[in-house]
Amino acid sequence: MSLFLIVALPFLGVVFPALLVRAGRDASASAAGTATLLALIGLLLHAPAVLRGEVITARIDWLPNLGLNANFFLDGLGLLFAGLILGIGLLIILYARYYLSREDPMGQFYAYLLLFQGAMVGIVLSDNILLLLVFWELTSLSSFLLIGYWKHLPEGRQGARMALAVTGSGGLAMIGGMLILGSIAGSYDLTEILRNKEAIQASPLYLPALILILLGCFTKSAQFPFHFWLPHAMAAPTPVSAYLHSATMVKAGLFMMARVWPVLAGTPEWFYIVATTGLATMLIGAVIALFKDDLKALLAFSTVSNLGLITMLLGFGTKMAAIAAVFHIINHAVYKAALFMTAGIVDHEAHTRDIKRLGGLRHLMPLTFTIATIAALSMAGLPTLNGFLSKEMMLAEALDTTWNGSRLVLPAIAGLAAAFTAAYSFRYIAHVFLGPKRHDYPASPHDPGPGLWLAPMFLAVLVVAIGLFSQALVGPLVKAASYAVTGGDLPEFKLKIWHGFNTALFLSFGALLTGLALLRLHGGLERGWNAMPRPEAKTIFDALLRWIAELSRTVTDRLHDGAISRYAMIFVVFTLLLAGYGYFSGTIGLPTRDVQDAPILPIIAWFCLIAATALLTFLHRNRQLALVLIGVVGLTVSMSFNYLSAPDLAMTQISVEVVTIILLLLCLNFLPKGTPVDSSLGIRVRDGVIAGAAGLGTAGLVYALMVRDFAFPTISEYHLANSKTGGGGTNVVNVILVDFRGFDTFGEIIVLGIAALVIFSLTEALLSTRVRAYLLNRKPDWPQSGDAHPLMMVVATRVMMPIALMVATYIFLRGHNLPGGGFIAGLIASIAYVMQYMASGFGWAAERQHFYYHGIIGSGVLIAAITGIGAWFNGVPFLTSDFGYFQIPPLEEFELATAMFFDLGVFLAVVGAVLLALESLSRLAWQPGMVTEHAMDINPARDDPPEAEDPAQTAVKED
Amino acid sequence: MTAIAEPLIAFFLIVSGIFGFVGSFGLLKLGDPMSRMHAPTKATTLGVGGVLLASILHSVAIEKHLSLHELLITLFLFLTAPITAHFIAKWHIHRHETPQSLPRAGDDVIWATHDTPEQEDGDAA
Repeated sequence: MSLFLIVALPFLGVVFPALLVRAGRDASASAAGTATLLALIGLLLHAPAVLRGEVITARIDWLPNLGLNANFFLDGLGLLFAGLILGIGLLIILYARYYLSREDPMGQFYAYLLLFQGAMVGIVLSDNILLLLVFWELTSLSSFLLIGYWKHLPEGRQGARMALAVTGSGGLAMIGGMLILGSIAGSYDLTEILRNKEAIQASPLYLPALILILLGCFTKSAQFPFHFWLPHAMAAPTPVSAYLHSATMVKAGLFMMARVWPVLAGTPEWFYIVATTGLATMLIGAVIALFKDDLKALLAFSTVSNLGLITMLLGFGTKMAAIAAVFHIINHAVYKAALFMTAGIVDHEAHTRDIKRLGGLRHLMPLTFTIATIAALSMAGLPTLNGFLSKEMMLAEALDTTWNGSRLVLPAIAGLAAAFTAAYSFRYIAHVFLGPKRHDYPASPHDPGPGLWLAPMFLAVLVVAIGLFSQALVGPLVKAASYAVTGGDLPEFKLKIWHGFNTALFLSFGALLTGLALLRLHGGLERGWNAMPRPEAKTIFDALLRWIAELSRTVTDRLHDGAISRYAMIFVVFTLLLAGYGYFSGTIGLPTRDVQDAPILPIIAWFCLIAATALLTFLHRNRQLALVLIGVVGLTVSMSFNYLSAPDLAMTQISVEVVTIILLLLCLNFLPKGTPVDSSLGIRVRDGVIAGAAGLGTAGLVYALMVRDFAFPTISEYHLANSKTGGGGTNVVNVILVDFRGFDTFGEIIVLGIAALVIFSLTEALLSTRVRAYLLNRKPDWPQSGDAHPLMMVVATRVMMPIALMVATYIFLRGHNLPGGGFIAGLIASIAYVMQYMASGFGWAAERQHFYYHGIIGSGVLIAAITGIGAWFNGVPFLTSDFGYFQIPPLEEFELATAMFFDLGVFLAVVGAVLLALESLSRLAWQPGMVTEHAMDINPARDDPPEAEDPAQTAVKED
Repeated sequence: MTAIAEPLIAFFLIVSGIFGFVGSFGLLKLGDPMSRMHAPTKATTLGVGGVLLASILHSVAIEKHLSLHELLITLFLFLTAPITAHFIAKWHIHRHETPQSLPRAGDDVIWATHDTPEQEDGDAA
């Protein structure tokens, strides 16, 4: 099976459990199980080849310019991890089916689980570090969903948030480290990077890259001092904890360290950072675990401790240590998953996980007792169980390694940690299952059905089997994985129980005995521990978060205080500084063009502009007057475009002007008529100086540009030369819009549509608040007119509507070759409709409007997209336009271009967006009784002609 | 042809110029809004009309092709100018006149723009 399919299967599977949950929980679980099983089978098909030492690859160039390619490879390490992820995942799916209660949304659970599983498989099979980072972040996100699965529990939500904050920020650091690594190696492909050990370790950027990558790994693998998120993640349902904290999430950090081991390990920096962190984590985790009463908290800290152990082994940097690390990864995953599941069973049956309330369960739950005991003894490191083997290898490595010149530090601390490990493992057995039977359990515990015990039972069997027949069962896998980790020849090794009487064995037995003694003394030790002041990680974390939030709020409030003048000032001052830097640090050539004489028309236009803007400066507090002045500016600009031979721009500008002024008038209706004075004279003078500097600077820049030729040839020549031959149109502006830069236009109509939808949803949201009542009872500032819809206006707009629509059609059709096009036509058509709204009233017009504007926008974007996609069928890139000339007698020869359909999309999107904006704003003004029966204020179809009425009236008058 | 056309074109241009000037002058000079409103209507109808007639004549007689685009401009002007004037007048009555200051509109009716529901209520009370 292709590696692509193995990675894709869990993602494809996400949909099915979520859908099939309607057919029952069994269907949902089996759908999730099938996806996982298929992926596992696909993986195992490759196993023989990988164990022979081959590397399976699958490559697709995705974004080669960025170095981001969908490259996957499967070597021993990948096989080990993917096997653990999918294998244990399968057991978890079975276990969760019986663990979750009827109230829990199971489809959601499996969907999240598969999402997470897919992301994990993606991490371990990626050959491209950028792709790997994508999957890495995806695990952070999906584990957030899984940990917070019980969203009704505050602990669940807080735990999920904490996990996301810690692992997510670690992921950010990791991105930085990976990018550095990639740039040193000159490639983002892992296989390529792994070949560049010398270059990377010699680079001055080695240390920053190392620290950043390790930050990512340590946060993910809950290494001290980032270990605190893991126990809080225990608020998740037990299957999630069993999965995340035995085989997957936290192992991702270890995987990453193992992955980059060949290039990063072996230096003193690596040794001291990684080994020391691992050592500290191992001891701290083990000590805290002994004093935890919550079964899952105990297991959580034990996980932290075990992760520390593996990290330390990876940190040693020797090949034997790497082998031990790989072996312990397998062993830990197996017994820890089983232990979490038994903890879940106890919780499920006894309705408590508090060790203080448990005890004597061996009589009630013999099966669970057996499984838990085997797994816990393996964790303690009892001979013949798998945990013993790797622990002894670890102790042997610790004995062989010197730390800062001392040969004693490592074995002593590792031995102490092993003793505490043995102690909490024994406590897990003794305080939960042994002892006298109690009568005060919250529920009556008994062994559960096979659905719950099958999975841990299988793992317990594995614990024994790997312990007894390690070389036969996992020897080749460990060898293949270690080969991949170390990236070179391995020393001869054989996994076996008996290594003879050596120091490691004595240390191991010593740890077991000390563990028993510690358990004996547990009561006294616990009192001492509880009396001791300890930093509470959650409090520190929360305080830190609050502090960061406070800091960012202060900064944001300073920069972003809601006053537009403030934003404008920041923006303008920053631009001025940049421009000033550019001016004073750069050089400029001599002018190459002469200054032209100004004819009278431009001078008049210039005068209009200056006058309008100057007046605006003084009169802007009267908002309606300001609008009129803005209109003057707009019209002058339109006329200037026309004067400078840009009819397309002039037409666009003038129609945009009309629409804008109408929409602004509509808005002004709801706003105060004047702008209050809200800044002091000093601030206004300051703003004036800034604005003046910016204006003069811009003028100077434009002048400098206009008296010089461009430094580089412009693209205009290309457009002019290729418009007719390449785009089939003589109107270059339109061809640019629909062809050369069609993708831009496509994006723009989407933005336009989104903007209109935002206006709609803002007004919609506003109308569902108390504002609605305010608007309904609003008294207008001025008395309303008695005839809001005068007859003359109504009739004129009726007459104009078909003409305007015809003009729009004409402009649309000729757009490709003459000034016009979909955008201008859309604006003209919108104005035709806006006129009806204005003349006949919103209510009256809306009643006669049968298409939702949302749909019109959508259809416009879709038509444009379909036209663009159509190009693919001709084997050319998205949005390539095609055109041809046709002749249908008796018509003359005419041209048809696919660009026309694209333009139709633009047209519809513009019409929809303008009218949706208008409709949304108008809805604010709606008041009951506004919809009139007739478009005008009198009934045009009345049967009593006024002439007939008049004589009667005059008659009365005469009387 | 040209000999007859040229004086005609000149005549129309002068007419349009005069009315354009009169319109602008009136807009500046006349006292109250209702009288002032008359001035620009002269400019739009007769003033612009003269230019358009001159333009048609010019294209027919000098450029030798018939151009009737100008008629469309006339049509639009005739449609829009009265409505603009109507609205300006309406606005003036609405803001600056009261039902009492206006000539009577009829026996039991008032001018439409003052005929708001609130005022009806007020009258009833």
